[in-house]
Amino acid sequence: MTAEEILQQIQSRFREEIRTAEVRRGEACVTIKADRNFEICRFIKEELGYDYLNCLSGVDWTADKEMEVVYAISSLKQPGKIILRARVPQDEPVLRSVVPLWGTANWHEREAFDLFGIRFENHPDLRRILLPEDWIGYPLRKDYQDERFVAYPWEDRKPGSVPRPTTA
Amino acid sequence: MTTINLHLQQVKERTTESMEEMWVNMGPQHPSTHGVLRLLLKLDGEVVRECIPYLGYMHRCHEKIGENRAYVQIIPYTDRLDYLASMYNNWAYCLACERLMEISIPARAEYLRVIIGELQRIASHLIWLGTFGLDLGNFTLFMWCFREREMILDLFEAVSGQRINYSFMRIGGLALDVPEGWLADVKAFLAWFTPRLSEYDRLSTDNIIWQKRIQGVGILKPEDAISYACSGPMLRGSGIRWDLRRDDPYGIYDRFEFDIPVGPNGDVWDRFWVRRQEMEQSVKIVEQGLKAIPPGPVLAPVAKKLRAPVGDIYSRVESPRGELGHYIVADGSERPYRYKVRAPTFVNLSALPVMLPGYMVADAVAILGSVDIVLCEVDR
Amino acid sequence: MVSAGALEQFYALFEAWGIPWIVPRLAIMLGVVSIIIGFISVSAMFLIWWERKISAHIQARFGPMRVGGWHGWAQSIADGLKLLLKEDIIPTRADRPVFILAPIVVFAASLATYVVIPFGPGLIVQDLNIGILYIIAISSLTVVGIIMAGWGSNNKYAALGALRSAAQAVSYEVPLVISLLGPLLLVGSLRMTDIVEYQGGTWLGILPGWLIVVQPLAFLIYFTCAVAETNRLPFDIPEAESELVSGFHVEYSGMRFAIFFLAEYANMFVVCAIATTVFLGGWQGPLLAPWVWFLLKTYFLLFVMIWLRWTLARVRVDQLMHVAWKVLLPLAFVNLGITGLLVLVLSPMG
Repeated sequence: MTAEEILQQIQSRFREEIRTAEVRRGEACVTIKADRNFEICRFIKEELGYDYLNCLSGVDWTADKEMEVVYAISSLKQPGKIILRARVPQDEPVLRSVVPLWGTANWHEREAFDLFGIRFENHPDLRRILLPEDWIGYPLRKDYQDERFVAYPWEDRKPGSVPRPTTA
Repeated sequence: MTTINLHLQQVKERTTESMEEMWVNMGPQHPSTHGVLRLLLKLDGEVVRECIPYLGYMHRCHEKIGENRAYVQIIPYTDRLDYLASMYNNWAYCLACERLMEISIPARAEYLRVIIGELQRIASHLIWLGTFGLDLGNFTLFMWCFREREMILDLFEAVSGQRINYSFMRIGGLALDVPEGWLADVKAFLAWFTPRLSEYDRLSTDNIIWQKRIQGVGILKPEDAISYACSGPMLRGSGIRWDLRRDDPYGIYDRFEFDIPVGPNGDVWDRFWVRRQEMEQSVKIVEQGLKAIPPGPVLAPVAKKLRAPVGDIYSRVESPRGELGHYIVADGSERPYRYKVRAPTFVNLSALPVMLPGYMVADAVAILGSVDIVLCEVDR
Repeated sequence: MVSAGALEQFYALFEAWGIPWIVPRLAIMLGVVSIIIGFISVSAMFLIWWERKISAHIQARFGPMRVGGWHGWAQSIADGLKLLLKEDIIPTRADRPVFILAPIVVFAASLATYVVIPFGPGLIVQDLNIGILYIIAISSLTVVGIIMAGWGSNNKYAALGALRSAAQAVSYEVPLVISLLGPLLLVGSLRMTDIVEYQGGTWLGILPGWLIVVQPLAFLIYFTCAVAETNRLPFDIPEAESELVSGFHVEYSGMRFAIFFLAEYANMFVVCAIATTVFLGGWQGPLLAPWVWFLLKTYFLLFVMIWLRWTLARVRVDQLMHVAWKVLLPLAFVNLGITGLLVLVLSPMG
């Protein structure tokens, strides 16, 4: 199945929920509204046969006041990849969990909850995974403040002073 | 906070369920957790009934640091992810950046990357085999595997000056060309190494105790392997012939001929045997690379200050432990906007609670060993 | 060593001086005990150094090379001194009396077995007429100490180790004893010197008169059980460092740990000494002094034990039980039955 066909199938089934859809580097990239992410994932898994969730990562689009969950989905039987993006508002970052579809989503979603504060409904065991359980705040958010965190002094650096590898 | 309390309450309820079952902390300091991993095991006598892993003892904000460094500056940090396969991490990260920035690299660099990457795979599998031997109580295998790994480290030291954290690859190629005579050294190493494999077999594969210990233990069904997105030898041990080097080729792997070993049963033995055979295949790949390597530069002319175009990429490679993916979101600046590492061992480890129940403590050690975890990569 | 008559004269001398009868007897006992402890310590230290050297050479290493000069011969002494000087740590929640007593029980059990080991003609502390029975009875006490250690440590890993140890010792005692019965039927005595002297001649004029020639199966069963009895790889599951973080002695440190360590090597020596006595003709041998022969044979068996340890993987608990009850025990019974039948048929008294 080519990326165009994948896009077509998703679009014909979930016309209302798609925000953008494009093919980039041979991958189908779809941005969806977050409220039906579970159904779209189930469609991709069960009807398109893309049953392998490579990666699930959160992104904080603080300029848009939105959070994003990116599903990288592929298959072990056919080539092609689907990059599925679900956007949720920053002040209420809640999505349906996809753990019933993929066991691997369990820890990925816990990580997104841990570092971004994105909450996943119906997750069997949503608690922090990498940080201590009493940690306050979500470090990968762009507005995260911590007195121990020292930003890299970019302003002081002269242009072009980034270390560059040399050839022998 | 509520989720935490809820969880603690759950643990307490589980603790008082039965008088005969006991909760045992395996780790964070335990010789067989291969680092600081904590497993909470519910034991019924010797039999494991339930397993709850706790991670994060080694969390060092790898991704947060990445968001605050230039693209080139991240390379040394990737060394510290999977410190047993640093070269491969360098490669995976550089490849992701090259795909993102659409940089093509010189042919010699491609060949050297394959040679070095496969040597790294052998070194990583050797460590795995050795520590797996330790888990099963065979100390001698550990020392023998380390002997050969030292030789690979010597080779890497010759090219990069480092033994563990190489930082050798660059976006656009390699930092340096290999020294004169290095390729001949690699050849000599392969000639020495191949007979050693049957030596390891005499200690492990052919030994009846070894066979009885790991056959039929820790079975991971293919559907579970896919559901938990296991990759690398974990996936192939469950009978799925899937290797990114062949199925989603990166670099110049499509020019090489090699087999992809699989195991039919998904038990510990299959995962062991897959890795054992992969070492042979890596030797084959390196030999082909040595024959075909062209002369030329090893670093493409890249800008001093690398800026990625706006966009994102999920790039994946087949590291010794499985699918090592980098998800990079670029906003056009010289730093990534979001930088996520899809660590193969993090994902493989998540299948552990599925594999453990019903087996004995001694098996738990073998099963955990067969996952081949590196905690620095799990916790990032 | 000393004839009974001489001892009586020695005691009588003290009585003549008006010293209570208990004093000379205590003095003799203390002397013997110190000799045994001295022997155990030296032998264990040598064994530890030897094992480290053998394992190192198996693993393409050198092992200890520095302490003492020649091939690190003084390494064990240095380690022993270090352990002696270490702080004695007793966990707060441990059962103190049990915790303290456990290593003593383990060591006392292995110490007591040395009483009947026949190092040479006359070189035996007390030639009991139930020598073998005594050794088996006393060496079973070791497991009591191990269970005490596991229980007293108040540690789950130690408890698991102790449980494993109890199961293992109980299982392996049975085939061990039954495998020894075959040779004992042939000898017709439980006395150690009788057993050795029985093996003085030759079989068919060419083979040495050792019982291993006619009882090879019993020897193999005995040796397997002996390795299991001493908790050595491949049967070291009570301490399995990669599973139980060294099991029953996980909470022990310093001197108490050293005693456990010493007892392990003392036990190894005992089981090999019994194997030498019962199966390999004890001190019998040409040219060299009897005690040299005895030590040579014993150390050869110890070498085999070390060799096994560094080349094999560890078995699992259920496999261990399987081997004991379903393989070794029936084999031992078969061996015993055949031996008994042959003795009945061939013996003129039959």
